[in-house]
Amino acid sequence: MSRASSTSTAQRPVAVSAPAAPKIVIRGVTRIFQRKDDELRVLDDIHLDVAPGEFVCLLGPSGCGKSTLLNIVGGFDAPDAGTVLVDGQSVDGPSPRRIFVFQEYGIFPWASVWDNIALGLRGRTKAEQHEIVTRYIELVGLQGFERAYPAELSGGMRQRVAVARALAVSPDVIFMDEPFGALDSLTRLSMRSEILRIWQQEKMTILFVTHDVDEALQLADRIVVMSPRPGRIREIVAIDSPHPRDIGSTEYGRTKNHLYELLGVSHAV
Amino acid sequence: MSTWPFVVLGVVVVTILVARKLRDPWPKFLLPLSVACAFLALWHISCEIKSYEVVQQDGSRRLVEVFPTPWQAWEGSKKALLDGTLLRYAVASVYRVAVGFVVAALLAIPLGLWAGWYVRGFQAINPLIQGLRPISPLAWIALAILWFGVKDASAIFLIALASFFPIVTGTMTAVRTIPVVYVRSAKNFGLGGLELFRRVVLPACMPQILISLRMALGIAWMVIVAAEMIAVDSGLGYVINDGRNASNYAIVCGAMVTIGLIGVGLDLLMRSFENMDEVRWGFPKVRP
Repeated sequence: MSRASSTSTAQRPVAVSAPAAPKIVIRGVTRIFQRKDDELRVLDDIHLDVAPGEFVCLLGPSGCGKSTLLNIVGGFDAPDAGTVLVDGQSVDGPSPRRIFVFQEYGIFPWASVWDNIALGLRGRTKAEQHEIVTRYIELVGLQGFERAYPAELSGGMRQRVAVARALAVSPDVIFMDEPFGALDSLTRLSMRSEILRIWQQEKMTILFVTHDVDEALQLADRIVVMSPRPGRIREIVAIDSPHPRDIGSTEYGRTKNHLYELLGVSHAV
Repeated sequence: MSTWPFVVLGVVVVTILVARKLRDPWPKFLLPLSVACAFLALWHISCEIKSYEVVQQDGSRRLVEVFPTPWQAWEGSKKALLDGTLLRYAVASVYRVAVGFVVAALLAIPLGLWAGWYVRGFQAINPLIQGLRPISPLAWIALAILWFGVKDASAIFLIALASFFPIVTGTMTAVRTIPVVYVRSAKNFGLGGLELFRRVVLPACMPQILISLRMALGIAWMVIVAAEMIAVDSGLGYVINDGRNASNYAIVCGAMVTIGLIGVGLDLLMRSFENMDEVRWGFPKVRP
């Protein structure tokens, strides 16, 4: 790990801008949930730019609004104030250009691996479908499981199906909402290197929600640290070291300590 | 009192005690068979307890039997079974139930899908459905005759009515409880309208719809006796109503047992659909 640079941003939107024309522009996004007698400010004046091909992790404790932010950017929820632009267009709903990968159960249990991956290819010819599905089944290493149903697969394999299904429509952006949260720690590790390999190969933009500091450190170009009640960006930490990253280095440990500090928890237990 | 039922009960108890220690597949057949034998023995004992002797005017004694024993039921039903009348009546009943059940399913599933999907639709029709549901099909007999006459159609109407409500309620609940992540995924990949329904909403609901169909078929088959009270002249319900009027309780018992056996068969048929690839995911594995 070479260097971790930090920018304090919460009040200064200008400082968060990434170079070049950003893929995603988030400006002053605020989301308020109405409750019985009060209101909950889930997101408060969020500003963030994401460059094309960038891997950005949203890191924070539960209740900090990171999933809500992802839902808004993905078009499943609308902000009460502020705007979200993708390629300069404001987001007014979900689109196959921007695919969500959910923590669990996002793939359809009633359809085979093949039919799940072919979900977004309805307009293509049979030959095209065959070619694309075969390619992505190979990419995620599920050869031989084309006819299997999700219930017959392990948790890691199911998430591979979800990733392949997303990739099959060649999206510009992939949103991942704690996609490996339900997996055991070893599978999670191998899924991280898989997703990095795929990202480097396919060069899409990834917005990845996690509450796992190591996960963010291993994956992200930039880590957006969020704090709860109201949900705000605490700091954006850029990770400049190339992949594969040495998780034993002192630099890694230092950044990790810094992230734990930002999250307000003690690293040493 | 005869002693054989007690011998049977003793054998059954020993069998159950032994079968508990045995490995599959032995007890699988042995246990239900033992319980059925115990049931027959208890049936016989209860008949003998309730029978009594009377001294007739000429001084001779006569045994008054209130209810037929299993053997008497068999003897009394044997003729109907062997000459094919019972089979013909069973077919007539199954036919009525099949038609009524299919009509109910064809109406209830689309209605349930619609009302489950649109909140306003649910708000509009659910109270009426829940209000009509608890009314016994027996209460509808008069109306059925008024609308459909003393014909097959009346019986079929009653069966359709009885199976309609569990199907529509089950389907509505199924749609209303689809995990939001399925619908979001579908919309994310650009599915909408009929395609969303066909490829996501319907398959997501299929296991629950199947469960409600199974329940409804059980109810429809149960209602056959009430439905055939309307003066139809065939069917197992007719046998029971007719046998009761003629005090021929042996044939009543025979028809009851036939209804039970066919009911088991229908339930097994419905359960066999649970193994299809498209719905198997919705049925958690049961302990063997």
